[in-house]
Amino acid sequence: MPSIETVAEPLVSLRDLHLSFGGNPVLKGIDLDVRRGEAVSIIGPSGSGKSTILRCITGLLQPQKGSIRVGATEVHTLAHEAQRIELRKRVGFVFQQYNLFPHLSVLENLVIAPRKVLGRHRADAEKDARALLAKVRMEHKADAYPGQLSGGQQQRVAIARALAMRPELILFDEVTSALDPETVGEVLAVIRELTEEGMTCVLVTHEMRFAEEISDVVYFTENGVIVEHGSAARIFQRPTSERTREFLRHALGDPGRRPTIAADPYLLTNLSRYSLSV
Amino acid sequence: MTHWLEAFVHWSAGFGLNYNFLVDAYQRGTLQQGALTTLLLCLLTIVGSLLAGVGLAAMLTSGKPWLAGPARVFVEVTRNTPTLVQLYCAFLVLNMLLTQAVGAANPLTPFAWVVIVISLHKGAFHAEALRAGIEAVPTVTMEAASSLAFNNRQLLWSVQLPLALRFALPALINNLIDLVKMTAVASAIAVGDITYAAIMIWTQSDNVLELMILILGFFGLLSFTVNCVGRWLEARLRMPGYGH
Amino acid sequence: MAIDSSVVLPRAWPRRHIGKLLLGMGALCGLVYFAQHSPVLKALLQWSPALAAGFGQNILISLLAIGSGSVAGLLVGAMVLSPLRLLRWPARLWVQVFRNAPWLVLIYFTTYVFPFEIRIGSTYVAFPDWVKVTLGLALPASANVAEIFRGAIASIPSTQWEAARSLAFSRGQIFRSIILPQCFKRMLPPWMNLYAVITMGTALASLVGVHDVIDTAQIASNTVNQTGFTVVIYLSLLVLFFAYCYPISRFTQYLERRYAFY
Repeated sequence: MPSIETVAEPLVSLRDLHLSFGGNPVLKGIDLDVRRGEAVSIIGPSGSGKSTILRCITGLLQPQKGSIRVGATEVHTLAHEAQRIELRKRVGFVFQQYNLFPHLSVLENLVIAPRKVLGRHRADAEKDARALLAKVRMEHKADAYPGQLSGGQQQRVAIARALAMRPELILFDEVTSALDPETVGEVLAVIRELTEEGMTCVLVTHEMRFAEEISDVVYFTENGVIVEHGSAARIFQRPTSERTREFLRHALGDPGRRPTIAADPYLLTNLSRYSLSV
Repeated sequence: MTHWLEAFVHWSAGFGLNYNFLVDAYQRGTLQQGALTTLLLCLLTIVGSLLAGVGLAAMLTSGKPWLAGPARVFVEVTRNTPTLVQLYCAFLVLNMLLTQAVGAANPLTPFAWVVIVISLHKGAFHAEALRAGIEAVPTVTMEAASSLAFNNRQLLWSVQLPLALRFALPALINNLIDLVKMTAVASAIAVGDITYAAIMIWTQSDNVLELMILILGFFGLLSFTVNCVGRWLEARLRMPGYGH
Repeated sequence: MAIDSSVVLPRAWPRRHIGKLLLGMGALCGLVYFAQHSPVLKALLQWSPALAAGFGQNILISLLAIGSGSVAGLLVGAMVLSPLRLLRWPARLWVQVFRNAPWLVLIYFTTYVFPFEIRIGSTYVAFPDWVKVTLGLALPASANVAEIFRGAIASIPSTQWEAARSLAFSRGQIFRSIILPQCFKRMLPPWMNLYAVITMGTALASLVGVHDVIDTAQIASNTVNQTGFTVVIYLSLLVLFFAYCYPISRFTQYLERRYAFY
């Protein structure tokens, strides 16, 4: 987690972003900055537009209004797919599910994009791929197929595949939401290492404690607008907005207990009054 | 060889089955010629139908209405009308018009017409199977490939087509087995396949049952071969961890 | 991923197809107008009752074939699932033979093997060709229905069997109360598809001398003996079969979508 504040221009700048699907507005004016080497988390309830923001940064979705700048590229002005492809060579993306190509082995998954898109030689690409697999601790599964791996293993391979393109920035879209609790930890460990090495990351996540631990900046979105943003410590310990407080209270535990009904026949402690044999 | 045939004819005569045509050189020759014609018909229509299927599937999923519209009309008409009627329309109508236009220079024999009609007919079924396969590729996998900076051509050839083919393979193999059986319809326009040869024999010797057993065995063997090749292909293209 | 798509309700049936309906009616009016001036279309109108009667023969064959084939197919399907080997193996053989046989060959078989009349007691009952074709089509129909039945049973998740057994149902009760009611819905779309395929298979009846619609078309074409008329009559065959089978295919797709959640 780099703590040196630079006054240099942010790597990613979103200004007044508006996006609608059909007649349905999803983003209603988003302003976001990501500095080089920072880890930024975007948290918020489902449907608040978090994943849409990530897809706009990499050009998979086009906004109706607003500006997006990644490095020197004005993403919202890119008209042709060829220009967006140039952008995507510099921005890595890891999805929630069905990331990997199921018809290729793990090693082939890592090697296919550097070879076909960046034109690297097979031997070089494979050497790099094995090094990256070792980094995410998956080198022993280089010849396995995605269908033979657990969810957590697949996500680690997906992160390695994004790293194989040597991007300036990686976006993570709820990468642990589809995983069972034991495997969530192994994926978060990999992301933590990346942020410690200084990779610029933007994470959309529901893992609040993890977000608090690794992020430099946290953005809280709801209904397509940024309600509050600031350093991780301030957002999680001293949120200023009531909606942020409400969301964090629900997300960090205490979902609210329902009041008990007296003499409820289905309440387990009441069962002995009715003859049941188990 | 003849010794075995004679022994077989003698043995089957014990059951009341008349297989004498097997020892008659002329009739046996017609049957062999018919069997070879059927084999050739099957091979050509398998290749032709797969090509037509890929072409039609590309048109259907191209997203351009001036390509997808006519392709959809063709697929729906072909799937909802009998093969025999399509064969008659091609051979009795189109061929007649063609002969009237160019006279004796018409290069298309009845055999050629059968290959064309059956290839296009089964191509429509293949196209539907391939379209379902293409649509079964998860959108997120395509987005993931997009985010790795693949261009459209690379997306199609490296991600979409390999996965679509694997998803559509069982349906394609079933279609090909159906196609093998469909080639029997060639006898309707006097193409000398095995069915036609058998008809010629049984109208003379009245041994329908015996010839039926022979032809059913022959088509059964062909279907079985296609099935085996199909299963070998499925095993080779299998994605470990998916399906069974 | 929580991206909402804006859901647009489709317009009601008449409004959605208004373009196609207008086009169809316009074509029909144009046809009626030109029919009075063109000899080809006049001849077509002359022959239409005969064509309709012939197509009626096709439909009759298809209905009887699917009816008898379904009854036989359910029986064979039940035998395939039986725990007794003696019942299972002949049933499996039946299905294999009749699914892998070309339909034309089966039709030739039933037409030429069966006699042209049967003796019941002291009377001779005629065994017409179209009944033989019906039998010839009922055989593959039964094999396919057996396969559809087997597929429907197999598509019920095994967890339902386990749940039923843990509620102390017997095997017969599980079938009657839980499995079979669900199977019926799952069997309906492929069964309707089979019916459409059998209807198209009835076209083969013309090759064994049954006076169906194709035979009528051939007679008409030879009688009138004009190129234009030949083109039109064979096209009208396509139109007839399409008009019958396409709605069945659309209804099947509708049923598949409706039952997708079961």
